[in-house]
Amino acid sequence: MLTTSRRGFMQLSGGAAAALTLGSSLALMSGCSREPADGLKFLSTDDADFLATLAPVIMAGSYPGQLGPEQARTRQVAALDRLIGTLQEHAQSQLKQLLLVMSSAPLRAAMGAPFANWREASPEQVEAFLLSWRDSSLQLKRMGYASLCKLQTMCWYAMPENYIATGYPGPPQKIPA
Amino acid sequence: MKTTERKPDIPVVAGIQDPMVNGIANGWQVQEATELNDGSVLEADVVIIGTGAGGGTSAEILSAAGLKVLMLEEGPLKSSNDFNMDEREAYRDLYQESAGRMSKDGAMSILQGRCVGGTTVINWTSSFRTPKQTLDFWAREFNVQGLSQEEMAPWFERMEQRLNISDWQVPANENNAVLSRGCTKLGYDWKVIPRNVAGCWNLGYCGTGCPTNAKQSMLVTTIPSALEQQSQLIYSARAERLIIEGNKVLGVDVTALDARYQPSGKRLIVKAPHVIMACGGINGPALLKRSNAPDPNNRVGKRTFLHPVAFNFARFDHTVDPYYGAPQSIYSDHFQWQSVAGAVGYKLEVPPLQPGLASVLLLGHGSDHFNDIAQLPNTHSMIALLRDGFHAQSQGGNVELASDGSPILDYQINDYLWDGFKRAFLTMAEIEFAAGAKAVRASHLDSRWASSWQQAQNDIQQLEFRSNAFTAGSAHVMGGLAMGEDLSQCVVDSNGKYHYLDNLYVFDGSVFPTSIGANPQLSIYGLVARQATLLAQKLKPA
Repeated sequence: MLTTSRRGFMQLSGGAAAALTLGSSLALMSGCSREPADGLKFLSTDDADFLATLAPVIMAGSYPGQLGPEQARTRQVAALDRLIGTLQEHAQSQLKQLLLVMSSAPLRAAMGAPFANWREASPEQVEAFLLSWRDSSLQLKRMGYASLCKLQTMCWYAMPENYIATGYPGPPQKIPA
Repeated sequence: MKTTERKPDIPVVAGIQDPMVNGIANGWQVQEATELNDGSVLEADVVIIGTGAGGGTSAEILSAAGLKVLMLEEGPLKSSNDFNMDEREAYRDLYQESAGRMSKDGAMSILQGRCVGGTTVINWTSSFRTPKQTLDFWAREFNVQGLSQEEMAPWFERMEQRLNISDWQVPANENNAVLSRGCTKLGYDWKVIPRNVAGCWNLGYCGTGCPTNAKQSMLVTTIPSALEQQSQLIYSARAERLIIEGNKVLGVDVTALDARYQPSGKRLIVKAPHVIMACGGINGPALLKRSNAPDPNNRVGKRTFLHPVAFNFARFDHTVDPYYGAPQSIYSDHFQWQSVAGAVGYKLEVPPLQPGLASVLLLGHGSDHFNDIAQLPNTHSMIALLRDGFHAQSQGGNVELASDGSPILDYQINDYLWDGFKRAFLTMAEIEFAAGAKAVRASHLDSRWASSWQQAQNDIQQLEFRSNAFTAGSAHVMGGLAMGEDLSQCVVDSNGKYHYLDNLYVFDGSVFPTSIGANPQLSIYGLVARQATLLAQKLKPA
């Protein structure tokens, strides 16, 4: 039933888009803790857990590298927090919606992410989530995938401790006058 | 093969004096907005909003004519002592939204400067005159007057001398040499890029702020010259809105920003009888929209162009070190002007690949992405800059306002542009293989590494358009306040005056009614040198 399947697919896409926006409104009203975590300006503890769980899957063999797991997590979350904090309203509010959905178990499950707490999500679950968003027919999910990957890799590979993973010998030495 | 223990032959950067630090010590009037009292009112003969290519050039010319100039800059003041060739610091301090600026749907990544000196502080120094085809198109389609190639030539010549623009004399780095070698083999035209540098060390860090002051950005040329002429510079100062009464702009309402680039709580007012906007595409139209400037035909923000950029990667069996050496020194216009107003043309260049930026351009995640980034030293990248705005199917983007008044750029990549992306992927792969690449990949999530030109052709033919699934970048925001005498399309006249306000001028790249078809900095310098000189003559008759 090729003719109707396309129509059904469009409806599904529209519904999922609505879930993402409606979901974030619900999450806002349900009073989820949106306080920034200690030492951060933008990301809550839930946001930090989500992003830190994605990091090893996105960066694969280069993570945590010579920083070790704890340092890697702290440094990466701080770098992401700083970067997201400088985005202007439109991009920042879209990321906020994404993070809100990801911090609510039923909403994220509806969006193809693991129901379990992010801290307990397995790398396989994270990979399945990333692939489903990457290859989604829904533009919002593809945008979410691209944004999460770009933010993570930009923050990670620009850290001097991680130059070794790319083979980049580093910038010239600079001695101030 | 482990390349990380290599010690490449790169110089130590030492013994560089910082002209901005020295100038301020000698009495230049330079202040951070938030140091001033809340509610301060400042006055000048001319206020210039923005200190990039347009603002810097305007400030030098108008201050030399004896006018009291006040420059406003949203970004911070950073200079060579601060430039550590560290991507993290540079993106945070020198770029709009930490280099994370995107179009509305996230499909286009936009690199744009935001610091004293604007994008000239972080651009890659490529300096081309506005092509004749572009100037002719503007005259024909937008009734732009007085800007023919002959009329513009002396202005370009003047700015080429001012900024020491000439063909790069040093052999191209390997990343650029791939382009010239491949083109030569295939019989495609290529040329050496003219650069605005003096005593360049050939380091490769133009994009993080030149640490040796060799790049002749506004930061080390026109802005110091204007400050020597008693101009004033207020930085970390965001122009919130123009104060408009009737047909006149009375002044500028300014929000002071703190060290984190957030509002500090202080506001300033700058009053001047003449106001020049030089805050660039995206931000300029947004400022006019926030100010409710008269715009009877609803044209403000329309026709915003980006030179959408397609990226290709190639792997070599030798070291490329794509992060070292002058980032852009070779270009090809072979595919640029085959038809001025037909299928989209493109300019071929290469980008520098420091690891943070490279990791974003490579796209994707996981072990494939890690395998790609781990071979960075042997990786080359080529870019095709699509010449948007010359066809009915290429009307550009539109600037909208978010609820807090910040800009949003809605720019759609349609079938017309996607056709250009696919042709560009093919061209770039062909050139890279001709130059000796072992494998080639388009920056598209569906693209695999192809080990032969034939395989690449097959793969690229099958690539499908999906927004957010391929890298589309821009470092050239142009338009949004189109220039010309055709009021149905344009809001700024051929001399840069806003059509509907008596004392508002727009002297920057936002007036371009199409994209340029070349890296735009010299187009801005030349045009603004003309506009600012005409304005100076009007305000201060000799």
